[in-house]
Amino acid sequence: MSAVIRFESYTWRYSRTKQPALDAIDLEIEEGAIVGIIGPNGSGKTTLAYSINGLIPRQEMGVRKGKVYVMGREVMAYTPAELCQRVGLVFSDPEAQFTAMTVEDEVVFGMENLGLPIEEIERRLAWVVPLTEIGPLMDKPPYEVSGGQKQRVALASVLAMRPPILVLDEPTTMLDPLGRRRVFQVLERLKREYQSTIIVIEHSLEHLIPLADHMVLLYYGKVLLADETEPFFERLAFLMEHDVFPPGVVEFFYHLKQAGEYPADAPLPLTVEDGTARLRELLGGKG
Amino acid sequence: MMKPEPYVVAENVTFRYPDGTVALRDINLRFAEGDFVALIGQNGSGKTTLSKCLNGLFKPTEGRILVDGLDTRHTSITKMAVRVGYVFQNPDHQLFNSTVWDEIAYGPRNIQLPKAEVEERVREAAEVVGLDESTFEQHPFFLPKGLRQRVAIASILALRPHMIIVDEPTTGQDVKQSLEIMDFLTRLHEERGHIIVIITHDMPIVARYARRTVLMAHSQILADGPTRSVFAQTDVLAEAFVEPPQITQLAQRCADLGFAAGTLSVQEMLEQFRSLAARRRA
Amino acid sequence: MQKMHKTILGYVPEASPLYEVHPFVRLYFLMVVSIFPMIIGAPEWNLALILVVLVLMKYGRVSLSTLKLYVPISISMGMLILLSYTLLGGIHPEFHVVFRILGFPIYYERIEAAVEVYTRILPMIFVMVLFLSTSRERDVLVAMRWARVPFTMTYMTAMALRAVGMVIEDFSIVRQAEKARGFDPHGKSLGYKLRQFVMYIIPLMALSLRRSEEFTKAIVARGYSFTGLKNVKRPDYVLSKYPFRTRDAVLILIITGFLLGILYLRYGLGMLTLEGSVTQRWLRQWLLGGAA
Repeated sequence: MSAVIRFESYTWRYSRTKQPALDAIDLEIEEGAIVGIIGPNGSGKTTLAYSINGLIPRQEMGVRKGKVYVMGREVMAYTPAELCQRVGLVFSDPEAQFTAMTVEDEVVFGMENLGLPIEEIERRLAWVVPLTEIGPLMDKPPYEVSGGQKQRVALASVLAMRPPILVLDEPTTMLDPLGRRRVFQVLERLKREYQSTIIVIEHSLEHLIPLADHMVLLYYGKVLLADETEPFFERLAFLMEHDVFPPGVVEFFYHLKQAGEYPADAPLPLTVEDGTARLRELLGGKG
Repeated sequence: MMKPEPYVVAENVTFRYPDGTVALRDINLRFAEGDFVALIGQNGSGKTTLSKCLNGLFKPTEGRILVDGLDTRHTSITKMAVRVGYVFQNPDHQLFNSTVWDEIAYGPRNIQLPKAEVEERVREAAEVVGLDESTFEQHPFFLPKGLRQRVAIASILALRPHMIIVDEPTTGQDVKQSLEIMDFLTRLHEERGHIIVIITHDMPIVARYARRTVLMAHSQILADGPTRSVFAQTDVLAEAFVEPPQITQLAQRCADLGFAAGTLSVQEMLEQFRSLAARRRA
Repeated sequence: MQKMHKTILGYVPEASPLYEVHPFVRLYFLMVVSIFPMIIGAPEWNLALILVVLVLMKYGRVSLSTLKLYVPISISMGMLILLSYTLLGGIHPEFHVVFRILGFPIYYERIEAAVEVYTRILPMIFVMVLFLSTSRERDVLVAMRWARVPFTMTYMTAMALRAVGMVIEDFSIVRQAEKARGFDPHGKSLGYKLRQFVMYIIPLMALSLRRSEEFTKAIVARGYSFTGLKNVKRPDYVLSKYPFRTRDAVLILIITGFLLGILYLRYGLGMLTLEGSVTQRWLRQWLLGGAA
């Protein structure tokens, strides 16, 4: 598998702080993978996201060491325009990015910046609007629709630029449960239908875990653990020591496994559906 | 046992915005001593409007709200502020003084307390939220977000409202920070007897901390009761687009095996599993 | 209930005939018709202009209740103008004294001037209200883009408009937050209220600063640089949705025609001035009893 993003002993320290926000990290992200990045606030998750799309070092003051490669080329070797066509970034507060007076203008803004012809803009609208289900909102001011709708508008406006890499920085933090679920539904479709590389920084693990192929634990500037999702959560005691609180199902089966009440070689169920099936096997079996 | 006297009574409250949008429809609700309540539901379901009605910022269009026996429609802002405190979601909206001290003293000064009393209340509120004296002369704007939120809570506490409503206290916090804030609210509740109402989307937090849950949807109250029994009403939750915590969902899907639909924690789930497994072995 | 379009200032039914007009025509109307009162001196003609605007509002199904908002402003502005022209107008022995207040002479000429200025300002406000009630922020931008205003400038305007909306929203929340802390503006002195007002500036600034930081990041992340991408011509998708029809051209011609007509009447024929206007004759009759 080829790494579409590669960090090589990468360090970033904001000039306003003494400690580096990211401290000599090495990390590879495979093409087409969905990667969940978790860790407490202040661990460098956002710094990591900004380092991929070039906001760091361009918009921030600080000291940078090591390398970040995006699609084989160092981030600094790209112009901002080239980079934003490769990496799309969605922020946690969708409202902060709204600059247009209607949802339609908002979604079109990035495409206009790329200088796409009107016909291509229309083609992409025809793709992204149903995908993110924002059709009925097109004529409304983006800041007046609901929180979940706002985030789908933000997502649409980034997706419309067709970046092969998508980075989402806590995309559902400000959303209610329904809004949260629907944002993840869009990501699921992207994964299924378009094989995009998606990096999701998120506190709410319930929706992230079933979607993620890989998980990364960032802890105060260091990558402490990076693995495929299921083996990642096998290290639950370690994760909990580092302020990761898993969803109930994972925790429940982890405890069963520790107590020998669940087969040691069986994988931990990661979703409620999986958990239900396993629990039925444990209790409802024919013995 | 005597039923505790309700502190807040909302009777047939309807609230319409000036443009005609109905935000609350025929709400009946009581809050009594000892309540630690989670107010849940989708954005736009009326949670925030209801809270603002409870502390008198909005007056009901129809019906009435009695707080401590006072009708909010005829009670001054000052009298309401010392009874029901409302902590806004974004601390930046509520910090407008140039030092932390002035910020916390702002409320007590508004209700025209004598100087000595203001000072006492500021010190007390600061202590409760864990702000030490070195921050008093700082500008709230330059504090980190977590501290700004504490200043915001302290500035409400200084008014000593009996009931405190906190709008989304855990949004944007990581899990550890969320637990710290909630533990702090629990201490206020247990040690100082405040009635606490949190507005939140974080169901694991609700399951862990709130004894009672009020579920809102379409400007109405769909369910109101002990958190356990509200979370057990799967169809009502689905109608409000709310999902209970994962562990509760797991228990509900395996209810036919003997798990309780109102299971709230992994610990409870493990206990049930073990007793069910033991019964099967027997 | 009928479907409504939200405008900068309230709502207009989606079917409003004024809404059908191309945004540029509306902006043109605002810019040109607001000049009319500057040319016209005769108060009665400016009042007639107000009537025309009112008829247009009615025709455009604008809720006339939005005007109520401006009643207190209009009145206090009228009082201020009257005061500054009369009591604070200084001593002019050559003018006619109508009466004296505390020994200060109140001159007829100054009252006349105040009436003239006031009736010039009022229609401008009405024209502005008409425009704001029938246009959305987007329309302003489309109008500017249509007029080939450089993108960076229309974009700045957009952000400014957006910022105003945000500040207004923040402002109302901050006010609620103040009330929640027991601030009761009732029965307080004006000075006290003013000081409270100054206090709002801190949270509003704080919010704007924090937002603008995120905002910059967001637009940079979407490939926008204020100098534009190299060799990229920005297409205008939005504009392609607003066709400029013959009717719009006709309206532009009509508005321009009115401007030229008024210019001719005023400077060619010397009409529409305060001098010799019905209002002046009437004022003289009333205040000076036909003297002078």
